[in-house]
Amino acid sequence: MTNTVETASAEDFYGRDTQTSLPGESSMWFFILGDLIIFGVYFISYMYYRGQDQALFLESQQHLSQGIGISNTVVLLTSSLFVALGTEAARHGKRQHAYRLIGFAFVLGLLFPVLKMAEWLPKVNAGLTPGENLFFMYYYLMTGLHLCHLVLGLVILAFVMRDLRVSTAPNIKFIEAGGTYWHMVDLLWLILLALFYLMR
Amino acid sequence: MSDFALGSGAASAPAGRPWYQNKKLDQYICFWSIPIFYNLFGLVFVPLSYMMPPRSPSSDMSEIVAFMQSPNLLIASSILILSLGLSAVGNAMYVSQIKRMSVSPVFIYAFLAGSMTGAIVGCLFPMFCFGLGAFRPGYDPEILAMLYDFGYLSFIGSLGCFCLNWGLLSLAIILDKNTILPKWLGYYTAWQFATELFAATVWAYKTGPFAWDGLMAFWFNMVIYVPWQIIVYVCIFKAIKAQPESELGNAQYEPKALYS
Amino acid sequence: MTTYLRNSLTYVWAFLVVISIASWWVGRGQVDNFQVNGIITTTVFLIAAIKARLVIRHFMEVQHGPQWLKLTCDAWLAFVFLWMFGFYWASL
Repeated sequence: MTNTVETASAEDFYGRDTQTSLPGESSMWFFILGDLIIFGVYFISYMYYRGQDQALFLESQQHLSQGIGISNTVVLLTSSLFVALGTEAARHGKRQHAYRLIGFAFVLGLLFPVLKMAEWLPKVNAGLTPGENLFFMYYYLMTGLHLCHLVLGLVILAFVMRDLRVSTAPNIKFIEAGGTYWHMVDLLWLILLALFYLMR
Repeated sequence: MSDFALGSGAASAPAGRPWYQNKKLDQYICFWSIPIFYNLFGLVFVPLSYMMPPRSPSSDMSEIVAFMQSPNLLIASSILILSLGLSAVGNAMYVSQIKRMSVSPVFIYAFLAGSMTGAIVGCLFPMFCFGLGAFRPGYDPEILAMLYDFGYLSFIGSLGCFCLNWGLLSLAIILDKNTILPKWLGYYTAWQFATELFAATVWAYKTGPFAWDGLMAFWFNMVIYVPWQIIVYVCIFKAIKAQPESELGNAQYEPKALYS
Repeated sequence: MTTYLRNSLTYVWAFLVVISIASWWVGRGQVDNFQVNGIITTTVFLIAAIKARLVIRHFMEVQHGPQWLKLTCDAWLAFVFLWMFGFYWASL
């Protein structure tokens, strides 16, 4: 294990012309930007319908578990950190480190669906199903769609880990693209947290 | 006699070859049936019968009865049932491109199964329902209301079959190493698949954004779907054009001149 | 290990975790009885926007990307948050 001190300056860190290069692959950015637009429209439509019936939404919101919401947020943020650190390590050729860091991120990522199920199952058992009212339909749909994105992200991370373990020269563009996708999943959750759990 | 190199790998005909000797004539005939089909569908669904945009699930009984017994609806349904076969050609265009991709034939088989199910449940059932209602006057309003619900729910609520298809297409494009269709199309198709999942909510609501005429379950999906459908067929057209003639089934045949 | 602790990404992460907890904390007064509250919501939205921008800029490395990407991401953020907040404010 080397003892190099890593500085935080942009030029050393990337060692390349940083002003014009797109991190990862352009097709992944196409997907990410489009996905952000689609989710953006969903968020805005949620706020519109919320405005039509605030009392219902406020009352329904109270049934959500803020504790699990915040826990999931910390889980995803930490997972994102490990992915970012892992990508950095991969760029510096430290395959072993990168593999471990992204491995931690993957394990944390696995925690998210577990917490989600711990949140959803008691609710569904208590009769708070998607068909209950508009708030719950939006809630299950949005967090459900997010969960699907997250599971896909876990699959992508698994492939990234495999690439780090198997190839002598890991595909940095692919690792970056996978990492960017995972950060998008994190980003979407941050907004979902505000819209469903925290706002009044 | 036109002379050209056999199996030349060239994508398009040498200059001077008439259109009826085009080696890809079969694909082009099938391809051009698609705009005919979609335009026919559009004209019949909208100005002829006003089946689309979808009528409200919470309409009055009198509105439902008036709609279901309109003669235009009968004409519309019979036209659509007759021309439904063209959808098979449209779907086959996707399959013929997936076949050229470096993915397992599983994709082809599953896509075909999904298309068939989708066409029957998503198009044939609704047409039968709407056509039945208009077939004889004097049906009980309750029966007409049931057929109305059946028609719209099977039309808009059966998107699961198409979800499967677009999911497969999206995965095939992304995994394909031959780059038959562009990668960004694979991602766009993935959005198609994701947004169509929301159609499942139509079973739970009769008003609001999740009803079959709602913002989230219908209108926003249309905004994503319409450009996608056009773009996909444009890409397929380009893929047909770019296909080397040596790959075709008729590669070894030389066209004889009809007129010397 | 310490290199990771001193990495700028770790600082960003720590800040994100702290303000996430802060955005929960502002609403802790209303536990059983949620009421419309412009101050809580504005704070929550503002914090969410800040978090989103930090994730985009630092984790997604848009900070070091091309200019068009930076503008597009900021435009998306601004558009989405302004419209969301607009509908909220209109219903107050």
